[in-house]
Formats: sequence, structure tokens, C-alpha cells
Amino acid sequence: MQTSIIPQLRNTPDGEEADRILRACTHCGFCTATCPTYQLLGDERDSPRGRIYLIKQVLEGETPTQKTQTHLDRCLTCRACETTCPSGVEYAKLADIGRDLVEQQVERPMHERVIRWLLRHIVAYRNRFAFFFALGHIFKPLLVGPLAPLKQKMPPRRKALAWPSAENAQRTMIVLDGCVQPVAAPNTNAHAARIFSELGVRLIAPKASGCCGALSQHLAHREEADDFARRNIDAWWPYIEDGAEAIVLTASGCGASVVEYGHMLRNDPAYAEKAARVSELARDLSDVLADEDLSQLGDLGHGRQVAYHPPCTLQNAPQLHDNVAEILTQAGYQLTHVRDPHLCCGSAGTYSILQPTMANQLRENKLASLQAGDPDVIVTANIGCQLHLESAAGVPVRHWIELLEPAAAA
Amino acid sequence: MKTSADQSEHLRERVAEAFAKATPLHIRGSGSKDFLGETVHADTLDVTGHTGVVNYEPGELVMTARAGTPLAEIETVLDEAHQMLAFEPPHFGENATLGGTIASGLSGPARPFTGAARDFVLGCRIVNGQGQILRFGGEVMKNVAGYDLSRLMAGSYGTLGVLLDVSLKVLPVPRTQVTQVFEHTAAQALEQISDWQLKPWPITGAYWEDGKTYLRLAGATSSVESACEKLGGDALDDDRAFWHAVREHQRPFFTTTDRPLWRVSLPPAAPMLDIDGDCVIDWGGAQRWLQSDMDAVALRRIVKEAGGHASVYRGDALPRFHPIGESIMALQKRLKKSMDPAGILNPGRIYPEL
Amino acid sequence: MADTASADAAEQVLASRPDKAQLIEKLVAKLPEHVILHAEEDLRPFECDGLSAYRVLPMIVVLPETIEQVQIAMQVCYANDVAVVARGAGTGLSGGALPMENGVLLSLAKFKQILDIDTANRRATVQPGVRNLAISEAVSHLGLYYAPDPSSQIACSIGGNVAENSGGVHCLKYGLTTHNIVELEIVTVEGERMTIGSEALDTPGYDLLALMTGSEGLLGVIVQVVVKLLPKPERAQVVLAAFDDVRKAGEAVAAIIQAGIIPAGLEMLDNPAIVATEEFVHADYPTEAAAILLCEVDGTHAEVDEHIADVREVVEREGATEVRVSRDDAERAIFWAGRKAAFPAMGRISPDYYCMDGTIPRKALADVLIGIGELSEKYGQRVANVFHAGDGNLHPLILYDANIEGELERTEEFGGAICELCLEHGGTITGEHGVGVEKIDQMCVQFPPDELTQFHAVKQAFDSKGLLNPGKAVPTLHRCAEFGAMHVHNGELPFPELERL
Repeated sequence: MQTSIIPQLRNTPDGEEADRILRACTHCGFCTATCPTYQLLGDERDSPRGRIYLIKQVLEGETPTQKTQTHLDRCLTCRACETTCPSGVEYAKLADIGRDLVEQQVERPMHERVIRWLLRHIVAYRNRFAFFFALGHIFKPLLVGPLAPLKQKMPPRRKALAWPSAENAQRTMIVLDGCVQPVAAPNTNAHAARIFSELGVRLIAPKASGCCGALSQHLAHREEADDFARRNIDAWWPYIEDGAEAIVLTASGCGASVVEYGHMLRNDPAYAEKAARVSELARDLSDVLADEDLSQLGDLGHGRQVAYHPPCTLQNAPQLHDNVAEILTQAGYQLTHVRDPHLCCGSAGTYSILQPTMANQLRENKLASLQAGDPDVIVTANIGCQLHLESAAGVPVRHWIELLEPAAAA
Repeated sequence: MKTSADQSEHLRERVAEAFAKATPLHIRGSGSKDFLGETVHADTLDVTGHTGVVNYEPGELVMTARAGTPLAEIETVLDEAHQMLAFEPPHFGENATLGGTIASGLSGPARPFTGAARDFVLGCRIVNGQGQILRFGGEVMKNVAGYDLSRLMAGSYGTLGVLLDVSLKVLPVPRTQVTQVFEHTAAQALEQISDWQLKPWPITGAYWEDGKTYLRLAGATSSVESACEKLGGDALDDDRAFWHAVREHQRPFFTTTDRPLWRVSLPPAAPMLDIDGDCVIDWGGAQRWLQSDMDAVALRRIVKEAGGHASVYRGDALPRFHPIGESIMALQKRLKKSMDPAGILNPGRIYPEL
Repeated sequence: MADTASADAAEQVLASRPDKAQLIEKLVAKLPEHVILHAEEDLRPFECDGLSAYRVLPMIVVLPETIEQVQIAMQVCYANDVAVVARGAGTGLSGGALPMENGVLLSLAKFKQILDIDTANRRATVQPGVRNLAISEAVSHLGLYYAPDPSSQIACSIGGNVAENSGGVHCLKYGLTTHNIVELEIVTVEGERMTIGSEALDTPGYDLLALMTGSEGLLGVIVQVVVKLLPKPERAQVVLAAFDDVRKAGEAVAAIIQAGIIPAGLEMLDNPAIVATEEFVHADYPTEAAAILLCEVDGTHAEVDEHIADVREVVEREGATEVRVSRDDAERAIFWAGRKAAFPAMGRISPDYYCMDGTIPRKALADVLIGIGELSEKYGQRVANVFHAGDGNLHPLILYDANIEGELERTEEFGGAICELCLEHGGTITGEHGVGVEKIDQMCVQFPPDELTQFHAVKQAFDSKGLLNPGKAVPTLHRCAEFGAMHVHNGELPFPELERL
């Protein structure tokens, strides 16, 4: 596609990258076929191709208004479009650049600013989030108005499982603890640690690590996201030097962010090399487990019906590999047929809070297809999807790793 | 005997002259389809002298021939190269011409499975109502340049233009053909035929008459054999003669009575209609032949409610073709006028208005 | 020689300057405000379809949600003499949905419902914005599918398919859109709803269904389509045959067909296309071959076995240097991967590419390919050929860079020359992409003035004011005269009787 990016942007790293991405786009429209919002709304401006055009306008010097911002906000960043793009357009990278540019030029109304600030400054910090999470449970009835979507997001408080000591393990791996998951679903990593321990691997969750940065990235604060990345790299580096084999990601939403650290910090001389190494080591939980001998776990499923919802991040981030279905089948579970697995459930990070109407519509469609096969349990591989689906599902929604523990599987 | 004569210029002049004088023309080939539609009261423009295969290359799957060429001659030429007109046009007379075949748009028993006359038209040359020779479409399989006026000619009964030559897609003759016979009531036949068509079997004909369903399979030998095995039924001897008789209305059903004969075109799975009379089913249910003394208006009302239309093949009912809605008629009149502004080409042949 | 009234009307409409503010007011009075877009920021994403080399900012975009809203939009435009361009998924490759700066762009993209699936009659009733592939997906569990499969089938919509009479890889055996639909609901330029065709296999009166199909949005707005469904073949298998000479590959195509086989798909790639796609998808194509053929056969198991053996024998007899037969569906997918990725593969070796669409008699394949090679040298631009050999439908891809000044213009000229080469060999300028704006000048070469005049007269029967998609598909004689003045073909002017500017 022909481009004419304005001079003040053209020679910046963002400008160069945006130009490269735009030039690859041939405007063929294949991306519209898999875009959840375009499939619902049928409006070119709510399709990847339309958003590319909206961003192109800004790069070419037009002043955006709230309308452009709205259409960019409605994007789930699920990246399904990238899987059908024949020309390899890196849409998500362009969307990040575009959102940042628009954010600089369009002031948001007060209530949006408040909620975005809260998301960035509370949710992304484990301790603050835990505090408000506990508070939220007490003051649940008071979550009204713009805070109402938070109410249904509030999962039940779960009893914490013990973390195995795994003292005799010869091998070590790092696990990202993140921000929301340890509070809202504290046992996911514990389950993983217990299974790894049985496989002779010690799973370490360095205390100093935290949010992967995806939250800030999606809320158009890329510099803040870079800082989160640096913080995690610092926390992990000693273990990497000690020979940790992998950085295990139990939430694919965070996974999609960590595998991009190399790209995010490529222009930071102090971190570029380390970040690239971290991205290399970062792997989805199912990808790591698929390399291990899981036959010792035996038949856990006994043919129980499971509907699996593969998160967009796991399907569409090219560096993440999804082996969940194979692992569960091997463990004796029966996976039900789920139509349109490529369509997002509407969670998409903070999306379900910021765009509740769209998110709920998507969730309704997703739950209908997940429950069509009458499963005993729905599983997924990302905390966001898990909480979002759980709040409206008629059957239990869990992280799939729980099904590999004999006690939990029963 | 094969003849070849290009009378394009002569035919063009006749039309130009008629246009100048605003005198109508009755365009006519051999007259084998005179019984269809309404009579045109005008000077006859005889196209039977405009004959000959203009281009035929079996490797291209295309034949171009002049409108006056006898259909029988075209079929002979194709047969020598093991090819055919896959829409299996009825002749309804020994000297049926290619022009009349396309102008009437008739198709035989294979129609629902391989396509209609219009589906095989790739291009044509015509004289329009102003006496201009125009060429539309071409001799290639795919062509979307300009409006598809060549397919529009199929079934227009010469009211939009005098066909000069027509390019048709032709297909190889299937290597094997068999017909299996089953005992069915009409309702059973309709249901069974509908179910069979959900299978990827090489069905090329599905006809029901007097308690028996006749299913024709044609294609690769292995494919026909394996479908027959799954289908069961009894093989029909000399099935080619049978399907020829169906196509040409030579079965006793058509020849042994003088009662009015209706062609009823319906969605294929439409149930049997509540009309007094005798019925046979062709086209897997989509074309039903009905002998009935029922009043035309009442009969057509029933057919229309079932999603179809009825035309007269024998009998006195008018109009011969099923009446069409007001706004569609208005559009068709404008279309006719755009090609024949003076209204001189076969006026009234389809409807008095066209 | 006088132009027709319709062509005059079209020229007037093209030059008209409607009052935008007034029109918005009239639309807003009768339609919900959110379906009308008029700020530049909102309009910009609609400025082109799949052919992004041509861009025009529409005056207004209307995004109706119901057929009644389509009718109202049409009525308002008709009353105010404003042109309307209908648009489906915007994936067309000839600029058929290119907006007008003085017209309304009517998007049918919100019409996404499959309204009915009728198994007994093997049909589906769908809204025009339904994606081509979504139809097959929705009936797959019944063992059925919708046959026409343009390469954009994942995204293109059925309304656009009807407007363009789209084809695809499988049309030699299964036909084009025109062979696979039975009924249309349209909204006329005056805003009236009308049914074209019927649920029976034919309809009394003229075959308007044939005429509407492929009319590129010039005769009416399609608001509902009833398509035919076919049973899925039991199996499909592919033969990949390599040739050291393009001519031999071309002859093998004719030989396969003469052997009485109608392949489900018969595709050909020339050497530049093979090399480019191989680099990108690693389908293990023989990169030294001058051309490869991919011949797919489908049907029952027994039928496929029989035909695959026949195809193998024919291509070996015709001098194939290598023959491979897909052993399973996975391998079949690999064989096709290169062909299907051919266009995007070009996108990766060159910033832009221009896709042509001429169709020729199969026997002329080799001559036309050689001719295209000569033109490529003359224009100094690379070209790769990928095509539906079974139909003789060529897709030469001219590689260029739109950011280099003058390169698009040179490419268009090169493309025009390819169109004319196809015509010289008895072909047509467009097999399946449509004329749109892209090939409008070549229409002047393909059709003499009398035919064009007839087209305009037919258009007038449907649209007396010339408001539907003016300036597309059929050029005015005036335009042809201007084109002819610049473009002397075979040493003679194509329209000697017209005065030139």
C-alpha cells in the first residue's frame, strides 16, 4: 500500500516500523474474515483493515478525534487477523503505535481516564490488587456505574494450595507470577509447580517479578510496559545465569507479552540483549510440558467431557505453541467439538472492563459454542479468559493444568 | 447432409428494413417449437438457411455454430469427438435448429444435474431490433466483460434479437451410463430423490412415472458401479431409448391422450400438488408434467403457492406462460425496448406485452 | 453517431455536484443517525476496495442494517439524483466498489445472517454480506457445500460474488456464481424491492438472474441471495506435474481435457511464480521447472482412483519431467499451499503487485505466456504468472512499487497491453475479477461502439438516471474516444467516427 508518513514521524523508530508494516498491507481484506468485532458489527472501521486505515491517517498528519479512538479501543488485540493475513502484516505492532499516537492527541473523558488510571495503577500491582480485591469482596454491592463490570469479574475467593519444595529437583525453570493471577486464581501456578515437581523440575517464582506489562501496553502506555519488562528481566536474570531452562508462562496473555520483550527493548542498549534472551526462553506451559514424559500421570480424565477454549494469545502469537488439547487427550479427557475456536471470548486483558457491551456479546457467543457439546468443565489457558467466562458460565471454568492433578481432576 | 452458409448480412438487412418500416417479423427455424408460447402474426424471417459449425475444437470444450444448423447435425459432430450438449436439449421435431433450441431455452432430463441451456451459453452473435450485428460473450469459459446478454438470449424466444451464432460449452460423454428402477409412490420418489442428491453420486436423471422411479447415473465407470451397488434397484435395459422418449415426450403418457398438458416448474422437493389429473415427475421433482382439465387460473394459483409456475404445452389456456408481476413486467418491457425499440422481433411470442 | 441517453445520464451524474449538507439532512430525517457517515475521518477507511491503487473519498457512507433502510437510502438518492455505489466486503480486485466523491457509498456489510438452510432442496438463503466460505462452513455438517470458491473466499461476501459473477479454482467443473444461484432479492434504483429468479429451476419471462449476475452493481442492489448447495465429494486428490517447457505444459492441459476428464481444478504456475512461492511456503515445488501443473480430481473414491491414473498417464505422455500424486489430504494441502500463497508471496518479494485477469482459449496459453514475457522485457518490469489453466483464465502478477513515482502508471500501461494480447488471441479482458474502473479503457478495445451502446440501453432499462455505480464496467463512447486518441491500436483508430478532444 502506498504511504506518505509526515516528516516528523517518518524517521522515528515508530514511524519507520509503521511504514514498514503499512507497506506490506495490500488492502485485500482477508483480515476482516477473522476479526471478532467486524463479524459482529460489519463496520469497516471496526475491522483490522479499517483500523489500519485510521492509523494511517494519523501517521499521514490528519488529526484524530474520539471516533478514531473508539474504533481502536474496540479492537481486542486478539491478533486473529494476523493469522489470515497473506502478506504478513504485523497488525498488533501497528495498533500499539497507533493507539499511542492517538492517546497523545485525543483527551479522554474523565471517567475513562479514572478507570484506565486505576487499571494501570492497581491491577498491575499484585499487592495493591490483592488489597482492593479483598476490599471489593466486602464492598461488592457498591460497585455500580462505570465500576459495575468489575462486580461480575469478581471471582470467588479460593483456598491456597501449598507450593511443593522440590528440593531434590535437578532442573529449574522460572514461572511468571504476574499481577492478577496470583490473587484471583492463586492455585494455577501452585498446580503447575506440583506437576513439575513430580517431573523433577523445580519451578521458581522470583518475588521481585510482577506484571508482564501487557496492561500498560494495551492502555497505550508503552514506556510503562517497557519498565515492567525491565523489572521482570532484572528479577529473572540471576536464575537464567544459573541455568534456568525456561520461563514458563501459565497465562498466555502474559506469555504473548514476554515473548515480545526482545522486540520492545530492542532499542535499549542496556537491555536489548537480555530481553532477547528472555524472549527466547519464554514458553507456554503446555509447550514445556509437551516435551516431558507425562505418561506417569496416568489416566486422569476417564473420558470426562472437556470443552477447551484456546486463548487468542496462545493461538495467534507466533512464538507461543499450544499443546493443551494433546496433553488433555493423552491424560484421558474427551475434548468436545467447539465451533469458531478462532473467535475471541471478549476478555482480552482490560477489554471486558472497558468495552463491556462488546465483551459480553462475544462471551455469550463463545459460551454458546463452548457449551454446545455439553461439557463437564470448560478449561482455558489464560487468567483473563478464565475469569471472564467463569462469571457467566453454567459449568466450572478452570485453568487446564488443574485437570492434571489427581486430586483436582476428580 | 452438412451445409454451411453465412446469411448474417441477409438477416441483418431484413431486420434493418423491418426496423425502418416498423413492420414486425416472425423469426422461425424449423418450426419445431411453434406450439410453445403464442402465435406471432407477421412476416416470417426464416433462419434455416444460416447454417454450419463455425468453430469446434474438442480440446477447448467449445463449439460455435450458426443458428440455423440442425441440432441433429451438431450432436453428430460432437458425438464423433465423444462430446455432447450436456443440457440434453429436446428436439420436438426432426429438423430442430440450434437457434430455436437456445431461443426457447429448453433443457432435457439432465438439467438439474448438469445445467440448463443458458448455463452452457458462452457467447453469441445477434441482430438486435435496429438491425445491428452485435457480439456478446465469447468462446472462453470465463468472461465477465460487459453485461451477460448472451445468457439472456436463452429462453427469450427471439424477442430480444435474432440469433446468428452461438458458442456453447460442451462436455465429454460419460464413459458409462446405467439406469436403475425402483418401485415408489410419487411422494416416496420425491423424498428418495431428494435424499439421493445429498450423496456425491453421478446422478444425471431422476424421473418418476406410474409407480416407478428411474434414476440415471453417468460418469466414470468405477463411480457409476459403486453408486449402483449402494443404491440397489433393477437395471433398465436400453435406457438410452427410454431417456430419449422422456426428453421428446414420446412416452405413452404424452402420446395417448389429448387432454391439456401443463409443464409445472417447482422447487424440486415441493410435495405433490392437490390438482386433479395425471402427473409424471422429471428433473428430480423440479419439472412435473401434468394432464389436467382444471381451470388455468385455479391451477396456476396452486402452483404459485408451492413456489412454482405453469406453462401450457397442449391446450387452449392463455397466456401460455405463467403471468408475471406488474413491476417485473414493466422492467421486462423496458428491457425488450432497449434491444428492440420498434417492437418488431417476435412481438407477443412470450406475452402480449413483450 | 449519437451516444445513448443512459451514457449521457452517466456523464451528467459523474460531473454532478450535489449539496452534501442537504443530502445528509434528508438522510438523517429518515434513517438513524449512526448509519450515516460523513466526516472525513470516518470516510477514509472506505476510500478503496481490494484494489488500493485506486482511491476516492466517498461523499457519504451509509451502513444500513435492514432492507427497509436500503430502500430509504435509495429513495432519497433517487429523488436527489445522487449516485450510489454498493459495496460488500470490499475485496474486489477491479475497483468495482470504488466510491465517488459526489456519491453515496452503500455498504451491505451488516447483512451477515444466513436466513435459511433448506436441505430438501439443497439451498441456502443468505444476506448479501455473508462471507462465501461461511456458507460452506454452515452446511458442512450436512455433507453439503457452496461450490464457487474465489481465492478471497474467506473474506469476500456473496453479494459481491453475484455482482462480479465470481469464479474460482473449481469453476471448470462446477461453474461460476451464475450457475450456482437460483434467486435474488434486489432493491432497484427507485428503492423498490423485487424478486429475480425463483425457487424453481427457471422463471417465466426473461432470464434476469443471468443479467443481474456479473452486472457490477449497475442494475440494482442485491439484498438477498438463494444459493445452490452441492454434496461434498468423498475425496479429492492432486497430481503435480513439472515441465521443462511452457508449451508442453499448455499442451498437457488440452490433452487432459481431451481425454474426457473434467478436473475439479487445473492450475498452472510459471517459473518466476514457482521460485517466488517456493521461497515463501516451501511446498517443495521443482524450482528448475519452466512450469508446473496442479490437477485436482474429486468425486467418489472409485472415480478419483480412475481419473488420477488417467491424468498421470496423460501428463507423462505429454513429456512431464516429474509427476507426483498427493498421498493424503495433508500432502494435497502442501501441493496447494504454494498456489494459494502465490499472490501474497509476490507481496513479499515486491511492495506492490498488480493482478491481471484475462481469459484466453486454452490452446493459446503458451503463445500468450511468451508474449507476456516479451512485454515484461519491454516495460522492464517483473511478472509472474499464476492461472486457472483449465479455464484459460490468466492471472499475470506485475510487480511494482507504488512509492516510486510513475511506476503505477507504467504498470497500468503494461497491464493494458496484456489485456490486449488476450484479446488478440480470441480472449477477454476479464474472466472473473470484473471490469470495474481498472479495465474500463480496455472495454473500448474489446467492444465496438454498437455493443457498448447496447449495454448502455440495457442499463437504462434498469436505471434511467444512471445513478447506480456510474463510470464502472461499461465506458461511455466519449471516454473510449479519448482513450482511442491516446491509444492507436493496430495502426487504426477504434472510433474513427467520433470527434476527439
